[in-house]
Amino acid sequence: MNERLELMKNRVRAGEHRSLRRSAPIDVLAECEAENLSWPRRVARLVRRQCEAEQVVIGAEEQIVFTRTLPAVPAIYSSEDWRRLTAGRTLHELGPVSNICADWSLLLSQGLLGRKQTAVDSRRRFSNDPSAVEFLDCAIEDIDAVLGLSARYAHQARVMGREDLAQVLENVPAHPARTFQEALQSLRLCHAVVWLGGNYHVGLGRFDQYMWPYLQADLATGRLTITQAEDLLAEFFISLNKDSDLYPGVQQGDNGQTLTLGGVTAGGDPAVNELTYMVLRVARELAMIDPKINLRLSAQTDLELLCLATELTRIGLGFPQYSNDDVVIPALVEHGYQLEDARDYVVAACWEFIIPGRGMEVVNIGAVSFPAAVDQAVREGLVGGDDFHKLLDRVKVHIREQVDHLAETYSHLLLPPAPYYSLFMQGCLEQGRDLSQGLKYNNFGIHGAGSSNAADALAAVQKFVFDERSISADALLSALDSNFAGGEPLRKILEEQGPKVGNNDPAADDLLVRLFDDLAEACEQRPRTGPGGILRPGTGSAMYYLWLAAGHERMREPVVGATADGRLQGKPFSANLAPSPGVCVRGPLSTLQSFAKINYHRIFNGGPITMELSDSVFRDSESIRKTAMLVRTFARLGCQQLQLNSLCLDTLLDAKAHPENHKNLIVRVWGWSGYFCELAPEYQDHIIARHLYEIN
Amino acid sequence: MINENAGQIMTSGIVFDIKEFTVHDGPGIRTTVFLKGCPLSCMWCHNPEGQSMRPQIMRSPAGERLAGREYTSAQLAELLNQQTAILSENEGGITFSGGEPLMQAEFVAEVMDLLRNAHVLLDTCGFGSEMDFQKLLDRSDLIYFDLKLIDPAAHLHYTAQDNSPIFSNLKTLSRSEKPFVVRVPLVPGVTDTDENLNAIARTIAGLRGLERVDLLPYNRAAGSKYRCAGLEFRPDYDELRPVNINMTPFEHLGVKVLVA
Repeated sequence: MNERLELMKNRVRAGEHRSLRRSAPIDVLAECEAENLSWPRRVARLVRRQCEAEQVVIGAEEQIVFTRTLPAVPAIYSSEDWRRLTAGRTLHELGPVSNICADWSLLLSQGLLGRKQTAVDSRRRFSNDPSAVEFLDCAIEDIDAVLGLSARYAHQARVMGREDLAQVLENVPAHPARTFQEALQSLRLCHAVVWLGGNYHVGLGRFDQYMWPYLQADLATGRLTITQAEDLLAEFFISLNKDSDLYPGVQQGDNGQTLTLGGVTAGGDPAVNELTYMVLRVARELAMIDPKINLRLSAQTDLELLCLATELTRIGLGFPQYSNDDVVIPALVEHGYQLEDARDYVVAACWEFIIPGRGMEVVNIGAVSFPAAVDQAVREGLVGGDDFHKLLDRVKVHIREQVDHLAETYSHLLLPPAPYYSLFMQGCLEQGRDLSQGLKYNNFGIHGAGSSNAADALAAVQKFVFDERSISADALLSALDSNFAGGEPLRKILEEQGPKVGNNDPAADDLLVRLFDDLAEACEQRPRTGPGGILRPGTGSAMYYLWLAAGHERMREPVVGATADGRLQGKPFSANLAPSPGVCVRGPLSTLQSFAKINYHRIFNGGPITMELSDSVFRDSESIRKTAMLVRTFARLGCQQLQLNSLCLDTLLDAKAHPENHKNLIVRVWGWSGYFCELAPEYQDHIIARHLYEIN
Repeated sequence: MINENAGQIMTSGIVFDIKEFTVHDGPGIRTTVFLKGCPLSCMWCHNPEGQSMRPQIMRSPAGERLAGREYTSAQLAELLNQQTAILSENEGGITFSGGEPLMQAEFVAEVMDLLRNAHVLLDTCGFGSEMDFQKLLDRSDLIYFDLKLIDPAAHLHYTAQDNSPIFSNLKTLSRSEKPFVVRVPLVPGVTDTDENLNAIARTIAGLRGLERVDLLPYNRAAGSKYRCAGLEFRPDYDELRPVNINMTPFEHLGVKVLVA
């Protein structure tokens, strides 16, 4: 990385640009109330006023501009009106549409003026449909607002004598991009405005696909050298890190600014190109938390590409995260996605597979707590004198209860309108419909959390209580009730001698598979959701591995005490797909073999196998290559998603003790990477514990 | 240790660890079986739980675990065979290390015979009877052969054994024409002296089958597991002294040398 970029990166990390931010949010509420605006018009007005209030900031050396100066998204309803508006309805997380992905090629190939023309044509066609007219008016209002903002940037560039930049800004985002730089600039501005309007977890989609034509042309005509292109890309990536602290999330870094690389084209041909490699190279050089990278692969993927990807893992970025096309695409097709769309999938903020520009999916409406379902079943079953088969039936019932509860809650989902975001979705302008009214795909996702602990608990009950009869039902029940007080020997037996997920041991793995099949069945038997979609079951756990174990105010799911796998009350559950915390398993291959058994054609909402490898594994190019082979093995075994982390225990412990020395230490948390020192202590501890057991 | 099983006499053995994805124990993706028990007691040994054949409890901040588990050859082979196809697909296989595989040669040979489609690497200190060595050699595709000290007195002092059986097995190895790698732990002031390295180079130069020499610089974490195993680490050399990484003696004699 050259000096200019190094400096730029350091400035962003130091937060110098934050001094340019305005302190108080602008007031939009007053005019919304005075004019008694409808909800869509309020949202459109919000985006417009935000664009108008943005101060133009052009750094002397910047080639890709836009620095956000409005830190807050102002209210458009008084809290009283908001309560009235949303009474009896379910809001997803904070409310605004989040965690979907635009089709950015619409912007790059047509420009905002192209989109505006479509809106104007539709408005004429739908002139008798007031809601369509209103939506299209809102869309046009926001297009004009963004054009106004970019015109001010262009003007300022001229004033500063930056002819090069002015020419770029005079063309984009208004018109189709002509060059790689224009494409990046257009995306930077229009993507940032989505955040500015209060939408979040704004994905970047298949970056190496929609950007490639522009880069390819520049390279072919000699307009750019590879190095120049890399510099532009690096600058674009740095710009994505400017506002990380403003993005809402459970922890800083949880911002869903992801992009997806590789995979296949709509026609099924390999989609990897020179930009795929370039993105990985530049991300390795930069070593920043954004953008978070997903790499699609298959059993046939080139080892060379996986080696480069492994280099990113080596420096501890916690990405790329891998998704297996061989498994994901057929599962999507089986559940009603058109083949061409399925081939175009990207990974949402964390793990879920969504279709850019075609999905208004709420991919994480909540988690089913497997440990809670198992705990209830074990207690009832042991008291009631069940055989093990009957106990398993109870598990299924409790899983279904949780699914039903979540699904009922979300049948009252209320999605706020998002006219600006709708510009970049397929069909919204053409049909005069806001994206919140539904797109081609409108499914919901549910994850099954704490799966390994739950399967281990069932396996322990089966082995010790039913098969060997070495632990009585009463002894186990009273140990669970008392959190193993005075029962440490019993707890040790459960923890150390029970079958465990991650060892390729059918005694535990079969129960894991069964839990997920129960979840799939509960989802498959639900009636269609409100907007006409299905429930997609997945294997992720987000923050639930802590919340379900210890309780949390923002959680609807039940808390569980001590569990039959020997886990003490309050101790975290397994995160995503990983062996239970504290369990020492045979190794990475066995772990992959265990998780390969899940029926991913039914469990297709994503959620990665999460593995930590000691940084000593990455010592030389030979072992990098072996790690790449491990990734390929993941695909060949038919697993769905993989997140590999490189961790050095000493570094983490030192970072906890001396955060000031480790400001740039990046770790993977659940579906995302963040700066270790910016995480809450319980998350830091969990990461440390994960590693402590890994080397044991 | 001998068990009756399905009418066949089957040997059992003691293993102190089975590690998957060992990236520094040979080509490709490998699983390494650590046999418990070693005829040498090298002062710098970093796997003290590998020395005795008896099961031992290892205590660390992460908890306790029992090092040392008995397997029949069929049990161990079955476990390993669950993955041999994956290992072969990834240019790898099974490595038998320790401790010292020669200490349980009968058992190890049976396991090797039961493996399906696996590249087998024998990682040995070379100390054992010629018959045992030959038995495992015949069943291996690649041999990692340790050489520590050429001087007999020094060898006796630092490993508590005579080194002449090692040289004799080295000859057997070379006669077999199997590919092998000589591995030399560089212990500061002990094995890393120019004199010892020259002597090693002269001993191995020109041997048939020799692929290269790996120099393994001393790892200061050598003593870290002793406390876990309830043992005391007592080196009589200076651990902090910089390691002398001298590749010249090997290069002079045309022996390929790598620093691991």
